[in-house]
Amino acid sequence: MQSLLESQRQFGAALVDPAIAAIMPRGFAVYVANVRGNWTRALAAAYPIVRKIVGEGFFEGLALEFARVHVSMSGDLNEFGARLPDFLAAYQETRDLPYLADVATMEWLAHCAYYAANPAPFDPARFAAIDPAEYSRLPVTRAPGSALYGSQWPLLRIWTVHQEGYAGEMSVDLRPGNDRFLIHRPKWRVELAPLAPGDYRFLAEAGHGAALGDALHAATREDPDFDPTSALARWVALGVVTL
Amino acid sequence: MRASPEIGWVEVHSENYFGEGGLDRHVLERVRADLPVSLHGVGLGLGSVEGFSEPHVAKLKALAAWIEPAFVSEHLCWGSAFGQHFNDLLPLPYSEASLALVCGRVLRLQEALGLRILIENVSAYVTFPESVIPEGAFIAELASRTGCGVLLDVNNLYVNQKNHGIDALAQMNALPRGCVEEIHLAGHLADEDCLIDTHGDRVADPVWQLYEAALARFGPVPSLIEWDTDIPPLDVLLAEAGKARHCMEAPNAVAA
Repeated sequence: MQSLLESQRQFGAALVDPAIAAIMPRGFAVYVANVRGNWTRALAAAYPIVRKIVGEGFFEGLALEFARVHVSMSGDLNEFGARLPDFLAAYQETRDLPYLADVATMEWLAHCAYYAANPAPFDPARFAAIDPAEYSRLPVTRAPGSALYGSQWPLLRIWTVHQEGYAGEMSVDLRPGNDRFLIHRPKWRVELAPLAPGDYRFLAEAGHGAALGDALHAATREDPDFDPTSALARWVALGVVTL
Repeated sequence: MRASPEIGWVEVHSENYFGEGGLDRHVLERVRADLPVSLHGVGLGLGSVEGFSEPHVAKLKALAAWIEPAFVSEHLCWGSAFGQHFNDLLPLPYSEASLALVCGRVLRLQEALGLRILIENVSAYVTFPESVIPEGAFIAELASRTGCGVLLDVNNLYVNQKNHGIDALAQMNALPRGCVEEIHLAGHLADEDCLIDTHGDRVADPVWQLYEAALARFGPVPSLIEWDTDIPPLDVLLAEAGKARHCMEAPNAVAA
């Protein structure tokens, strides 16, 4: 008689291999359908824009092929799909949509921002105890789950026209450019904010906990239009950075 | 959400709240201010020989410590093998080997959480030659060896009766009176080969009859209608909940 380990390995192999599934008992097909449905729905939840672009039917095939190549490793389906951008970059069936992998990267970052920890509130009272001459040495940090992304494709426009409730014009100019933006969750909804080069640099520095003075200097050097005072006030007020 | 005497508690899938922050957790926290919350796991796979995940246990522990749930429940199933997860409630043979494995896992989980957990019986669409212990006796033994409670899913028992010819009532009667802490009811779908537990329809009449028998045996334990695919208008759902409440208030529904 099979051991429990052998039995589970065979059952699992049959779930992902139709040739083995064919020799399983009748009711087994219910499990194959459940498993496929669960993976497809999880990917559809994380990648609504990719799904809209390729269409529901095509997405289902793509999802099953993805699940075969990059197998699910967690009992938490919200973790499934992190590697879809890599998969799409190499996927022959969507090579006529060269921007699709970058759209997927954007959506995974948005998915992560949605579930990320809430940012610690900025506490001005803390500064009463600190000598103002020391402010520039304080590490500046960025909100959990916030991310910077740059693409040659017009991702901001693609994001906008695919938002729920968007009723405007759908056309997207696909000429390569340089979209650089922040993905963050100001309150509960994930948003994208386009960034000037100085802000991009400042928030990149904040992403690795640079000292405030160093981060502002780096941004100013990179972008003469960067105004340290207003930038700091803006990003602190939005909860994107804190000290 | 305002507290309502019509709602006894709110039950959520544990894994949907494994994220560290955001809207879903915020809403759950608001609900918790007014109502008890129960955590119902679908991804741990207590019976997986390979791939039982301690990080998953740690996330559940952190979630339970934060929300202080009325109950934490898990399914009597497995879900992973050879390093891969299948993200479904897969059936176990009811054998001594399965019992020993699951008992160890339940004890481990209860130790980690510092809580007594509930274990729910599942629907099965295949059977195993290794299954030599009746389902009810298996669960009774699990509860006896680990001290865990039982979340009795009456629809799942009925689905197994129709699919595999087990006697649902006899399985229920094999459970000690004190061990059932919660009951799930749901609708199922009749496929050409078998019944499928879809949570997408009204509770079927024979399931209501089993439910009445369950209440007669276990007393008026908290009962939940699971309806999470093809969700109907609220009045349909409330009518189903009203029906369950009516059963519970009937004279036979007293703790014996």
